Amino acid sequence: MDLLRIGIVGAGAIAQRNASEAMHSGASRVMGVFDVNAKVARDMARALSVRFFSTYEELLNNSEIEAVLISVPHHLHRSLSIQAAEAGKHVMVEKPIANNLEEADTMLSACRRHGVKLTVNYSFRYLPRIRKARALVAAGALGNITGVQILLHQYKDPGYWTGARSNSPDDWRASKAKCGGGFLIMNACHVTDYLAYITGLKVRRVYCEYATLGSPAEVEDIVSISYRFDNGAIGSLSASSIMRGVDQAEERIWGTNGTIVLDSAGLHVYSTRPIDGLRPGKVHHLKNFPERSWTADWVREFARAIRENATPEISGREAWENLAFISTAYRSLEEGKALEVPSYPDDVDS
Amino acid sequence: MKQAAIEALGAIYKKIPPDYRPGVKRIVFGTLLKAEGVVKGRRVHKARRVEFLDFEIAHLEPYEFLSPGKNEVLVEMECSTLSPGTERAVLCGLPGARRNFPYQPGYSSAGTVVKSGQRSGFQIGDRVAGRIKHVSHDTISPEFLFRIPDGVPFEEASFIELGIITLQGIRKAAIRPGERVAVIGQGIIGQMANRLARLLSPARVIAVAPSANRRSTALAPCGAHEYVSLREAPSSTESIKADVVIEAVGTPQAIETAMKSAKPGGRIVLLGSSRGLIRDIDLWNLAQCRSLDFIGAHITAIPEKESSTTMWTYRREGELFLRLLQERRLSVHELVTWRVRPEECNMVYEILSHGGDRHVGIVIHWKPGVESKPGITAPQS
Repeated sequence: MDLLRIGIVGAGAIAQRNASEAMHSGASRVMGVFDVNAKVARDMARALSVRFFSTYEELLNNSEIEAVLISVPHHLHRSLSIQAAEAGKHVMVEKPIANNLEEADTMLSACRRHGVKLTVNYSFRYLPRIRKARALVAAGALGNITGVQILLHQYKDPGYWTGARSNSPDDWRASKAKCGGGFLIMNACHVTDYLAYITGLKVRRVYCEYATLGSPAEVEDIVSISYRFDNGAIGSLSASSIMRGVDQAEERIWGTNGTIVLDSAGLHVYSTRPIDGLRPGKVHHLKNFPERSWTADWVREFARAIRENATPEISGREAWENLAFISTAYRSLEEGKALEVPSYPDDVDS
Repeated sequence: MKQAAIEALGAIYKKIPPDYRPGVKRIVFGTLLKAEGVVKGRRVHKARRVEFLDFEIAHLEPYEFLSPGKNEVLVEMECSTLSPGTERAVLCGLPGARRNFPYQPGYSSAGTVVKSGQRSGFQIGDRVAGRIKHVSHDTISPEFLFRIPDGVPFEEASFIELGIITLQGIRKAAIRPGERVAVIGQGIIGQMANRLARLLSPARVIAVAPSANRRSTALAPCGAHEYVSLREAPSSTESIKADVVIEAVGTPQAIETAMKSAKPGGRIVLLGSSRGLIRDIDLWNLAQCRSLDFIGAHITAIPEKESSTTMWTYRREGELFLRLLQERRLSVHELVTWRVRPEECNMVYEILSHGGDRHVGIVIHWKPGVESKPGITAPQS
């Protein structure tokens, strides 16, 4: 398979990581780097031994580049993606797809109009334990899913909000306009995405409470959501970036026939059925999953989708649906009531 | 002294983390079995059996047992038939069926003698049926074993215990020619009751069930004359007016249906293992004013040695059941709705725990080569 020729957009810490993983994926070739901060872009290009582009237009005009990998503040996703689509470049964009559904709609519509593909970096899906959980659910380990619980708590120090440790200091993470929200849209979005991926369920109704209680930011640093899935199952999410000293990251999915717990140790599985050779009626602790680069997997999979003209595994539609959940949760607090999550319009492609 | 030792062992056992207890138990009991084998000069055999690991969880488990003693035989199983009512009650923790887990279900099987003790009365190669759990092989005492007559297939013979249970109930019903018989519940016991009642020349056998799910098997040749689905015709019980009602479910609701289905002065045979509490049943109007007779008919009351007119011994009932099969006066193969492999037991019991779908007779075939019957409802995923 021909290597996918990628132009890197953004030169911050995440962009550097993404570029490096893309180079090592074996499925792509990094052609060059652009960032509005020319110094960090030039440094990064030099470190990667690739070309430095002084303007985005220059990068897009390069006929060798097939796709852009955009790792920039959220509010720039729309304009940069649309420009790329108009230039005939496929789009790989960091999560979330955009700050709101209107922005996402215009991005997806531009990609459709110009015949390019779009994917969003919800690459935690490629973690072996996430894949395993999905396979267990698909094999019927849980029966009919009845409940989902997400717990995600950590501490983000003041430097996180001011960008103090960044090579390109910026306080965009603290800005509602630039970021679309706080811990939910920035961090917990990965978890809500991969739980949708594991369970295959879509959220239909949400009620949310959020606040900013301990951070120098205008976006939320604590959030709690109750929600109902399309199959009637009930979910809850409790997340914050102000829990000091003791991190917590655990998801539970349970159903009529079993339970799966995902945490830092791996997977803990209980099923009444003998799935995958596991003895029923017993909690199995699945650990020692192989280390692999989930970002490289994401790049490989997108390259395959382009070469085979297939829908990317992490499609624009799924990213839109995750954003629909998140943005409806935010709106729920603002309107003070539970709200229905909009469905992806059926008359458009993913 | 013995009690103190048991308590001390119990205290040690409780200190073992729960995850490791089954393994420890297996090692301890395995060692004890091997020691017993050495002392008694008997070999340890390995086999597989169905176990209920917990509520609603069945699994095929390996296990070990000793070769037969002088009075015992080793049977290699061909078929074992599920007793859905009893097994489901244990699996789902229904009232009156509390058991400890793991639990080994099953009590109606057929197979071949592959080893025989000198005084067992059986020969190697004998085809036998009897009270045996869902196992691939086991050492059995001949007390509950019957020789299968020529011409009776293993599958039909594996209904033996269910046949005995039903026969003793039918015997107590004392059905006379021309009487109307209603059978409440169309599970496997109910449907066998339809067939055994038919042998006694009643005017009509009316099968009564909550739904139409089991209509086709109930109305198969030699089954009931008529089928009443209470879902479709909830008030039809009053028009049944049966002389004899055989209640083959065991729930308070079924007993109430049985009373409504009987004519004044009718007899009600309580064949189903009664479970659940009876509340709010109008005994005055349903039973007392209508002079209904209630006849208890559970297999636990069957006499060990001497038969009477209304109660035959276990052995006599079993021999009669097999003879009826041999003479083709009774057939039960029409009642087999699902033939399964032992490896499928988890799914089978999951379906059973949700009510059993439309199934009546479920038979485990222990030898390879039997395909699970197609068209079976798989558990919801």
